[in-house]
Amino acid sequence: MGRAIIKTEHLERVYINGAVKTYALRDISIEIKEGEFVAIMGKSGSGKSTLLHQLGLLDKPTKGNIIIDDHDVINISEKERTRFRLDELGYVFQSYNLIPELTAIENVYITPMARNFKKEEYEKMAEDILTAVGLNDRMYHYPSELSGGQQQRVSIARALVNKPKILFADEPTANLDSASSEDVINLFRKFNQEIGQTIVMVTHEIEEGEKADRIIWVKDGLLDMDKQQNI
Amino acid sequence: MDNNDLKVMTFLAYKNLTKSKVTFMVIVAVMAMSFLSITFFASIIDGLGYEFEEGMIRGQTGHLMIEPQEDELYIYDSAKLVKNIRRIPEVVGVARRQDASAVARHENIEIGNPVLFIEPENEKHVSDYWNSVLVGEYLSQRDTEELLIGANLVKSYAEEGDTQKRFDVDVGDRITLSFSNGFVKEYKIKGIYKTGSRFVDDKIIINFDQYQAIFNSTDDVASNILIALPERGMEEYYTREIIDLGVSEQINQWQTKMGAVNQFVGSLQITNQITGTIGLLTAFATIYIIIFINVTNKRKQIGILKAVGIKKQIILGSYVLQSFAYGITGVIIGNVVMQLLLLLLSIHPLNMPIGPVIPILTTERLMVTSATLILASIIAGFFPSKKAADENILDAIFGG
Repeated sequence: MGRAIIKTEHLERVYINGAVKTYALRDISIEIKEGEFVAIMGKSGSGKSTLLHQLGLLDKPTKGNIIIDDHDVINISEKERTRFRLDELGYVFQSYNLIPELTAIENVYITPMARNFKKEEYEKMAEDILTAVGLNDRMYHYPSELSGGQQQRVSIARALVNKPKILFADEPTANLDSASSEDVINLFRKFNQEIGQTIVMVTHEIEEGEKADRIIWVKDGLLDMDKQQNI
Repeated sequence: MDNNDLKVMTFLAYKNLTKSKVTFMVIVAVMAMSFLSITFFASIIDGLGYEFEEGMIRGQTGHLMIEPQEDELYIYDSAKLVKNIRRIPEVVGVARRQDASAVARHENIEIGNPVLFIEPENEKHVSDYWNSVLVGEYLSQRDTEELLIGANLVKSYAEEGDTQKRFDVDVGDRITLSFSNGFVKEYKIKGIYKTGSRFVDDKIIINFDQYQAIFNSTDDVASNILIALPERGMEEYYTREIIDLGVSEQINQWQTKMGAVNQFVGSLQITNQITGTIGLLTAFATIYIIIFINVTNKRKQIGILKAVGIKKQIILGSYVLQSFAYGITGVIIGNVVMQLLLLLLSIHPLNMPIGPVIPILTTERLMVTSATLILASIIAGFFPSKKAADENILDAIFGG
């Protein structure tokens, strides 16, 4: 394993509703190394997704700091955070979150297109990654024409097309049947092993967590256990 | 925002529009109908006002009307004046008139009437009497024993339930006219005319030369001289040209001679402005709500696009562009339908009591309506998409 690509320092996320303060995360300090496949686990409401949202710059912590690839990503402008998400990070959501008006290939190439690649370049990038996730025959289908497993693979292709430094996945198999779930986890494993893709995945499935290099357990917003595994 | 941002923005807008065809068609249909609802009624009112004015111009006033000086009854040396005015380039027509009144009698019916003395050939260039003869013929220069009678004086043209006293006459019948100086003469009806204007269709028309014979006048006089110009809006220029001829009589533009018609047309225009403004506000609100709902429904997608790193300006721009597309397409379709309606109604004008009315869509109204509707659609697209683009990504995606 390489250097620390993610580092959090005393991360805290508080939701305030009137006079009521809810601590979703408290004092989370972790390091994730480049090339690691990390599973964040915990019970429902434990704060695992909240932690992923902070790491993935989808939300801002109330306190603490996050360093990604040696960049302080908290004290930068919203414009810079957007650029960082586009260039350096990839996301896979639980409910796929594809754009229904775009075909599979368009959903994938929209981000390299936004990065100013030429048409032939971003089309090739999208075709290659869709082929890698086994969807070479579904590229021009709309999300509504794809199964849940296929949509999630498009979502993975979209997350990986820009060769991000880190891939974040928020319960990526929660809406899938067991065969599709296994496909998705195997894809993660494949990209992690073959190209050294750093992956941070939230899951509540023990079997999926066990396929990761490391499991970080979160309980009541606190770091409960950090367990390295021998895969 | 660079060229690439514009490319992504256009791509997203295009995909949204082409994939959501039903939404696109519904919004465009609402836009087009809003356009029509505002412009169609307004164009009828404008057409009605125009027709009122045109009826007065073509029946009573011409574009310019020369009248005697304030302390005079007549315009003197009127033939010479007409000749001089004709020399002004592009003047369409110049005609003298004399006004009088007489008691007309046929069988046992007597009616006091205005009598208009005209120069039949010259009159053709300044009014529509020649073209409004329903039965019989228009006067010729040589007709000294004939007259034209307005349809409003003839029983067979009375509307159902109208109890006004009228003559039961037809072409070829004779009417006796008794003038204020005691002169009495019998004339044969040569034609019955109807211009459609109530202000005009109640006259008896006789040849101009008859005035001298009836009133034993040897002077070359006229009550007024009507001048027809190539089109409206040139009155000021020609007034100056006529003044330059040394004319000292009153030169009145048609607007100043409208009297009650002017007030009526003014009221129509005010009504039109009020209903037009209300129509625009209603259309603005309708379009705003429809596009607002449409964009609000895309809140999740806006959140997803932000999450994957698409710039806020690109997302915002794509929705504004979509809204602009709704607006411009709706206005274009509305305009095409409106032009077809105008074409249809120019072939088959609306029948109104004042005569046939052709709706008029002014360039100003077209521009204001189009611009307002397009602006409404842009604003309606901008605010909800800005709100969604400004909010927290997780709230946008998961509905916080």
